[in-house]
Amino acid sequence: MKHQVNLDYTIAEGGLKPYFDALEKSDVLASKCLGCGRITFPARIICGACGSGDVDWTALTGVADVVHRTDGATRSFALMKFAGADTLTTVALLNPRSCATTGRLKRHVDGLPGLWVELDEITEGNDHV
Amino acid sequence: MINDVWVAGGAMSPFNRRKDGSSFRDWARAVVKEALDDAGLEASDIDALIVASESDFFTLQLNPAALLADECGLTGVAAKRVEGGGASGHVAVQAGVAYIASGLARRVMVLGMEPSASHLAGVDVGALYALSFDAWTDGMTGVDSTSFYAMSALAYMARTGARHDDFARIAVRNRAHAQHNPTAHLPLDISLADVVSSPVVASPYHRLDCSPLSDGAAAVILAREADLPKLTRPRSRFRATAGATDTVRLGERADPGFFSGKHLCATRAYKMADVTPDQIDLAEVYDSYSGAQLQALEALILAPNVLHAERAGGFDADGALPVNLSGGLLGQGAPVGATGVAQILTAARQLEGRYVGKQPAHIPCLALVDTHGGIATLNCVSILEAS
Repeated sequence: MKHQVNLDYTIAEGGLKPYFDALEKSDVLASKCLGCGRITFPARIICGACGSGDVDWTALTGVADVVHRTDGATRSFALMKFAGADTLTTVALLNPRSCATTGRLKRHVDGLPGLWVELDEITEGNDHV
Repeated sequence: MINDVWVAGGAMSPFNRRKDGSSFRDWARAVVKEALDDAGLEASDIDALIVASESDFFTLQLNPAALLADECGLTGVAAKRVEGGGASGHVAVQAGVAYIASGLARRVMVLGMEPSASHLAGVDVGALYALSFDAWTDGMTGVDSTSFYAMSALAYMARTGARHDDFARIAVRNRAHAQHNPTAHLPLDISLADVVSSPVVASPYHRLDCSPLSDGAAAVILAREADLPKLTRPRSRFRATAGATDTVRLGERADPGFFSGKHLCATRAYKMADVTPDQIDLAEVYDSYSGAQLQALEALILAPNVLHAERAGGFDADGALPVNLSGGLLGQGAPVGATGVAQILTAARQLEGRYVGKQPAHIPCLALVDTHGGIATLNCVSILEAS
């Protein structure tokens, strides 16, 4: 038998709404633990290091370095270290043909959800070399 | 230590991509009947059914435990469904152990099943599996399981010096073991060159480094010794069954290449069983990807230097610690809800000396079973003992 289900979810972001609202504008909002100081991106409500719920928001530049990168036939992903963050972040690469090891968070041109990075050589004081 | 929870019997269906028109209800019905026969029990002897199924998206059946109780001739039993991602089957076994150890039930049927291969297109299954990670961040970015495991493997390789040929050797060996397993999905005669020349899915992983999507079911019956009929054949029992989690997001781990949740889980299991890792005689570990087997063995502390032991043949059938003689997920296959149940059944039958398939060089006394969901995010480790 054949059966098809099309599901259209509307998901409330709850306590992470500021993080998702920032992403809509290509802004990078991390969480900063006021207990141990750990900065986490993507943001979280409870500190993953010390368990403190005393967490505030902090803006990052959006610039990130590739730590590990995997390439498939059509898509590439990377674990990247965003400047200012203490954790790594899993991202999809917008321009996987680039071999650059730095990049910047960007919205997907089609507005796809998730975290996307455009690779480019980025150096301090001269964002796009 | 757990001292009176026994594997009374069990059964598993072939793991493969079904093309014969049979359904998960058929596989479940068959393995329940075979498990009852194997244990020397009747359906009326069972007082609880615990069903393992990862996702309703695969079966398109909510409340599957009630349905399968009905389908399998177990109407009237207490029933529940449990889930823990890729570890769903093992989590269900743990729930069954808890039922027996606590006295909540006398004889529990643990039934794992999943139509992971034939109900949906592979691309749709992949999209669902992506939700096994943090769905709001990683899942919606569209990161697939292979890419996640690949990034974890890259971190492991950078730390340990492991190479892709170390992974490929496991892909070859587990498929070779599967050739002795009549229920295996991928009993392949392949070479290292075949693995390397298979298409890259997510570097460093090639297609033959990946476990398949499988259909299938497996069942085990658990009980106290006093609640089982006298049989002439040996039985096996649980000495320990432990769980532990790691952070869901790979990037939040101190070392994305180290399965620290699995390490914690194993440490708990060894303590519960009152054994040391060097006492383990045989292991069935969660090799969703070839490199993940090495990462698992490291976390399970099953050799002082896992990479050295792997290169020296220490995990071969005639090595110091035979691993995945069933073929593991790479060879036997992975119908998610059934996977952990089948791993437990395999270990029990090896201990009981009645396993049909690749045998270890020496008769084992203690076997370790390791299963996880996510990237070793939700972990289960059990240690079983021959009677």
